[in-house]
Amino acid sequence: MLEGKTTTAGLKVQQRTAAQSKTREARQRTLFLWGLLGPTVLIVLAVVAYPFVYNVVLSLSNMNIYHIRDWEVIGLQQYASVLTEPAVWVVFFKTVVWTLVNIVFHVGLGVWLAVILNKAFIVGKPAWRVLLILPWALPQYITALTWRGMFNYEYGAINLIGGVFGMDSIAWLTSPFEAFVAVILTNIWLGFPFMMVVALGGLQSIPGELYEAADVDGASEWTKFWKITAPLLRPVMIPAITLGIVWTFNNINVVWLVSNGGEPNDQTHILVSYVYEAAFSMYRFGWAAALSMVIFGILFLFTQVFLKKTNATEAAY
Amino acid sequence: MARVRLDTVRKVYPNGFEAVHGASFEVQDGEFVVFVGPSGCGKSTLLRMIAGLEEITSGTLHIGDRVVNDLAPKDRDVAMVFQNYALYPHLTVYDNMAFGLKIRKFPKAEIDERVREAARILGVEQVLDRKPKLLSGGQRQRVAVGRAIVRKPEVFLFDEPLSNLDAKLRVQMRTEISRLHSQLGATMIYVTHDQVEAMTMGDRIVVLKDGEVQQIDTPLHLYDHPANQFVAGFIGSPAMNFLSGRIDGSGDALSFVADETALSVPLGASDASLLRAHAGQAITLGIRPEDLYVAGPTAPNGSATSRWTLDVVEPMGNEIVLYVSSGPHTAVARVAPQPIPEPGTDTDIDLALDTSKLHFFDQETEAALTETPTADLA
Ligand SMILES: Nc1ncnc2c1ncn2[C@@H]1O[C@H](COP(=O)(O)OP(=O)(O)O)[C@@H](O)[C@H]1O
Ligand SMILES: [Mg+2]
Repeated sequence: MLEGKTTTAGLKVQQRTAAQSKTREARQRTLFLWGLLGPTVLIVLAVVAYPFVYNVVLSLSNMNIYHIRDWEVIGLQQYASVLTEPAVWVVFFKTVVWTLVNIVFHVGLGVWLAVILNKAFIVGKPAWRVLLILPWALPQYITALTWRGMFNYEYGAINLIGGVFGMDSIAWLTSPFEAFVAVILTNIWLGFPFMMVVALGGLQSIPGELYEAADVDGASEWTKFWKITAPLLRPVMIPAITLGIVWTFNNINVVWLVSNGGEPNDQTHILVSYVYEAAFSMYRFGWAAALSMVIFGILFLFTQVFLKKTNATEAAY
Repeated sequence: MARVRLDTVRKVYPNGFEAVHGASFEVQDGEFVVFVGPSGCGKSTLLRMIAGLEEITSGTLHIGDRVVNDLAPKDRDVAMVFQNYALYPHLTVYDNMAFGLKIRKFPKAEIDERVREAARILGVEQVLDRKPKLLSGGQRQRVAVGRAIVRKPEVFLFDEPLSNLDAKLRVQMRTEISRLHSQLGATMIYVTHDQVEAMTMGDRIVVLKDGEVQQIDTPLHLYDHPANQFVAGFIGSPAMNFLSGRIDGSGDALSFVADETALSVPLGASDASLLRAHAGQAITLGIRPEDLYVAGPTAPNGSATSRWTLDVVEPMGNEIVLYVSSGPHTAVARVAPQPIPEPGTDTDIDLALDTSKLHFFDQETEAALTETPTADLA
């Protein structure tokens, strides 16, 4: 446009200023966008990227209580140590059980309650909804400590109420199996409302006509649930389940607080609480960092495969 | 196949709203009956009560020889096609059609045979393994119909099945459903707000307004002998013209005189004998647009000429639609193609009313005065 030789001098000048102001506008716009993005980018770099890179470096180092200041990169030794440690595999197995049991109950209870709450005959729906979301709305540590109190052998509400019905008291927090059950029970209580809320949202988007068509077709309530509700909830539940699995896998709060740091005798651990213990009770920083990377790898692989296998991103309608 | 009989069937919704006030009529075995009326008049409510999707507040509903008031939808042997198709989005076309049969535990081979047969009739064989979201509106519509016909039910129920289609497809599906009816010979009840669909498809039409049955009759009888002003205005397009006025004169020389104009229509002998009793009363005259002619040699014998202002002219090719007015009255005329003056506030045109095609309505009750309402409602 600028090299147009036939145009008059005056027109050329005009065109030039128009083009210049255009590029200035574009530059200003870019600056403006960076201005908007900047703070977020900085924060993400500071709290995600930097710690992650630092953790990668630590996992390749010998940093522990003997080498706090004079640590150096030693390669993959910590990974080898992590993977050959039998206790890690035991804890890994417990973590898988912990995650699966929790998710099954979270989703099962959550969807079940959502379906019931969605029925026409339920009165006072808003009140029920608020009540059922409460366990999730309260700060986790308060709930966790409350449950720890309730599991107390002598004074805990659970044994006291069980006693009323003639049940023997259970040593919830002092025997390994019972302690594991106790942390799972607590976390089920904490986790079902999230799935319920997601499922309620999903149910709203299923057209009522589908159920009427199924009624005319002769479907029972059971058939309608498995043939219509379940498949149509899938697209909203799969991402929620993915999140739920990652959160539960990494949920140190509940395990740590209810079992008081892995009691009895470090039997009540999942991988993250094991990492925490290794890093901050035993100061095996390099080793703990390597285990963290292993956890990251497991979850990263899992989410990729799970989301792909379930076609989670495919729209239903 | 079966008859469907309603005896003073009422519907009061939980909020106290009475959507259907005592409907009584019978749909014959193999008949195609259309419920028609403006939006909100209770058509869907009536259909859904027959399907079993809404409880019947009072009255009795027979399908075949059974009283089905308290039967679940699945036990009534009806199939329904919904307005929004209600296809299961996660199932293929094949599985959508097979759904009801699978639930009823039909053998696999028979399911397959019925689904393929229906797909062939409806021309959706090519898309059997597609999900509904990949289908066009017309294909979805066919699948919804297919899901009903594989069941081979006693009664088919359709709730405005064509209202989501474009005009051209609607006309095409209309004839397809009519053809399906004659092929299957099944009892069909069809709900629509579109009087053209009602007129073209129905063996008989049930006209509803505000939850009340207005008239039940064959399309042509309904058109020629509307029981009241509502039916007269609802059936037919463009709608019947209405002029308010009164009956004047004495003896056999009666005429209808429109309010506030010089417009006067002499009555024929038969109209006169029926209307003599109403002389002096406020009355509405109704005349269909095609019964108005441009005055002249083409107008039929025995027509009454009157002068109107020509407001708008719509040439349609095969006919011309004239919008005319006279004082407080307006009218629409459909006349044969011919030279018509330019419309304008000072353009007058003489129109001839065919006096053998006049309708009269009581202004208070809106009931037709010259017609004897058809007796065979049951
Ligand atoms: N569940 C309901 N509760 C209360 N009123 C309703 C309900 N469903 C429909 N209605 C009312 O009943 C009347 C008839 O509705 P409907 O049968 O759907 O009309 P149509 O199908 O003729 O358009 C309408 O006025 C509608 O608002
Ligand atoms: Mg309707």
